[in-house]
Amino acid sequence: MLAYVIRRVFMSIPILFGSTILVFLIVKFSGDPLEGLKLRNPPPPPQTILNEERRLRLDQPLWEQYWLWLKNLVLHGDFGPSVHSNMNIGNELGDRLLVTLRLVLVSVLIALIFAVITGVVSAVKQYSVTDYSFTFLGFLFLAMPSFWFAILLKSAGIAYNQATGTQTFFTIGDKSPFLVDDSAWGNIKDIAGHMVLPTIALGLISYAAWSRFQRAAMLEVLNSDYVRLARAKGLRSRQVLVRHALRTALIPLTTVTALDIAALLGGAVITERVFQWHGLGEFLLTSIAGRDAYAMMGWLLVSAIIVIIFNLIADLMYSVLDPRIRYE
Amino acid sequence: MRTGKRLAGAVVAAGVSLLVVSACSGGGSSDSGKSVSTSFADCATKPNDCNGGTTKKGGTLTYTIEKTIDSWNLLDSDGNTVDYAQIVDGILPSVFNGMPDLNAAMNTDLVTSVEQTSASPQTIVYKINKDAVWDDGTPITADDFVYTWQTQNGKDCKDCNAASTSGFSQMKSVTGSDNGKTVTVVYDTPFTDWKQPFGPILPAHIAKQHGDLATSWKWFGATVPNYSAGAYKISDYKKDTSVTLVPNPRWYGKVKPSLDTLVYRIITDQAQAVPALQNNEVQAIYPQPSQDIVNQVKALAPNVQYTLGKGLNWEHIDLNLKNKFLADKTLRQAIFTAVNRQAIIDKTVGQFVPGLKPLNNRNFMPGQTGYKDTVTSAGVGNGDIEKAKKLLTDAGYKGVGTALTTPAGEPVAIRMSYSTGNTLRQQTSELFQSEMQQLGIKVTVVPVSLGKVLGSGDFDVIVYAWVGTPFPFAGGVQLWTSDGGSNYGNWVNPQADALYKQAASETDVKKAADTLNQADQMLSNDFYVLPLFQKPTFLAVYANYANIRDNATNIGPSYNSNEWGLRATAK
Repeated sequence: MLAYVIRRVFMSIPILFGSTILVFLIVKFSGDPLEGLKLRNPPPPPQTILNEERRLRLDQPLWEQYWLWLKNLVLHGDFGPSVHSNMNIGNELGDRLLVTLRLVLVSVLIALIFAVITGVVSAVKQYSVTDYSFTFLGFLFLAMPSFWFAILLKSAGIAYNQATGTQTFFTIGDKSPFLVDDSAWGNIKDIAGHMVLPTIALGLISYAAWSRFQRAAMLEVLNSDYVRLARAKGLRSRQVLVRHALRTALIPLTTVTALDIAALLGGAVITERVFQWHGLGEFLLTSIAGRDAYAMMGWLLVSAIIVIIFNLIADLMYSVLDPRIRYE
Repeated sequence: MRTGKRLAGAVVAAGVSLLVVSACSGGGSSDSGKSVSTSFADCATKPNDCNGGTTKKGGTLTYTIEKTIDSWNLLDSDGNTVDYAQIVDGILPSVFNGMPDLNAAMNTDLVTSVEQTSASPQTIVYKINKDAVWDDGTPITADDFVYTWQTQNGKDCKDCNAASTSGFSQMKSVTGSDNGKTVTVVYDTPFTDWKQPFGPILPAHIAKQHGDLATSWKWFGATVPNYSAGAYKISDYKKDTSVTLVPNPRWYGKVKPSLDTLVYRIITDQAQAVPALQNNEVQAIYPQPSQDIVNQVKALAPNVQYTLGKGLNWEHIDLNLKNKFLADKTLRQAIFTAVNRQAIIDKTVGQFVPGLKPLNNRNFMPGQTGYKDTVTSAGVGNGDIEKAKKLLTDAGYKGVGTALTTPAGEPVAIRMSYSTGNTLRQQTSELFQSEMQQLGIKVTVVPVSLGKVLGSGDFDVIVYAWVGTPFPFAGGVQLWTSDGGSNYGNWVNPQADALYKQAASETDVKKAADTLNQADQMLSNDFYVLPLFQKPTFLAVYANYANIRDNATNIGPSYNSNEWGLRATAK
């Protein structure tokens, strides 16, 4: 197993390397990162532009810019200079990963629980009113553009606040700038008030897809011979469902979830923007807008590593859920 | 039981809002006839005093800015944003402040007088208020002026990435006397915009604790200010989220802040500012207006008051005079004659800014001292297609109105460029394209990276914006002279060059304004840059707050944040 993990990690290095070159070239050819500075009125002195060009290594050939980035990253863990002179890309990525993690993990957990429950119920009660209702909701959430749904949720939160005369839900940020009630309970209420809407916005989209997967997987298993045999042997329905059917039916969802979490951690771009959470998604958008090449490459590395890790987790989970699979 | 009913009602309200919000957010009904609400009604006539009122002690105001803070040194190229300038104004004093009427006013809290005592060499004497101190008790002195000069003059500190050296680079000396409370600045060459430098000043005694000029300059950029000589001081910073200010106990100014806390909340997506305002998470917003934003705020009246103002950002169409077709003055004249500026306004920003008119000067904005119409007399910008056709026909062009060819028989085809992703400029470009079609000119609309094409000169016609300033004289040299760094369309007029340079080095401001307008008239007559309109500004604030008003200059509405507060009497 360990040999398998090491092999997978090493196999991913050339992919990472290739993708950073690609992103580097795309960003370099997309425009001048100092465009905003050069177009200012009054204009900055030529010395300032020269200093900035030197700091961002724009005065060096492309291959050397890339080589310096790679060398400093490998030897010193330095992600390179950002367009924003005071930004340390490595620290920024770390801070933002934590913000995104908080948002994504909670929403994934909730979405997963609901997806498994409704998927199983739908499959067990196939073609019943319950099944049709869950199916309708699933497709409704799938079809809804996430930014629009996020805006709807915000409006609902505001309407609730206004109707109750409270400040239960917040529409921006992950915490208030300062609290009148700075007690532990006040802090918990504040954090929860900021989390509810974005968590639902992000979670419902995942829930919709995952519940369909779970329903399909569960149906397939329920109609398989070994489940029929289990029933024929007189096992109790709950035992058949939970111990025999559900365990097998969770395998496809495991893969999908692991891949989706990786994608979400790379940046829940829309949710973060609408709710003004300063996570990796916002970092990506800002880096693109500022043509911040090294920042984008840093983001790419972090996202790619997350994808690799979660792919690995998905593969390893297989062996836990399915005893037939063993990695050598 | 009652709580249960109330909760159920709230849930129903939330549910109903889910159903109706999408219908409303599309920009349905609007009070399109008004550009201000009651509190701001007098802003057109009294821009420096409108929405005024007596305030009471206490309260918090949360105001939004749109950009994260990349550097804490406003004078550094990385920190020089309008957003951060608004925060800085509460903690670092400037000698002159840009006022809502777009003129510069002396900061009488910081200085008791500023006078030009000699025209040759130009000498300016600043008398610093004897009570003016930093919040650690250190007096504000000439040392602060000297440090601010040395770091921005482009000579003493090459590694200080100054946002601009304008004015500072022309100073010969900055000296202190009278225990440092008098500062004398002598210029090498006269500088018309002498009111511009020292806005703001940096604390020299703090700089001294952090190394030489370059090191301390960088320290100012990297460190959240724990110093202040303004009405407020920073008490807390939450990265990328908010900056919290509280009153500075050592503030020496006449008007003490009445607010307990002033929070600058960073909302990087302006579309999210209105819901935050509606939810009372913020109480004042200053986004770039769009029809949606304006309509959404109008729906929050009367609790929220708003005003649509005219900004210092102005859109314009530039021609590249190195283009083989556009080198011909008659073709340029015909093009600008055919452009209908009012139609462009009506079909774009005019949709939500009633009464917006074309801009008729490239250096001064309406209302600013020195503003004069230098465009209309050139007969351009009114969409006079017939006159444009006649100009072309008389000059020997063929295919006028169908497929225009030069007198030599070459088909006239040009590109109209705009910044990728900028919807306003895309619409302007498309309207330009259809107007040119009426002359028979084939125009291809091209989205571009602005900095790239302007720098390389790879454009024929382009639409973009410049930012006006209360200090326009030095900018003229940069923007319009033949060797000016931002004269991207390559206009060459030696007579105008001389006038621009003369205007920038006058000691008599009125004479400088006349000279600048003469040069601007020449630019109009050469058909090089056609000003379109001032981009609107939009301020929305809860009605129970007083003294917040629009200020389109580079320090924004926060120019008087010490006067902001809760109204003593309900409005």
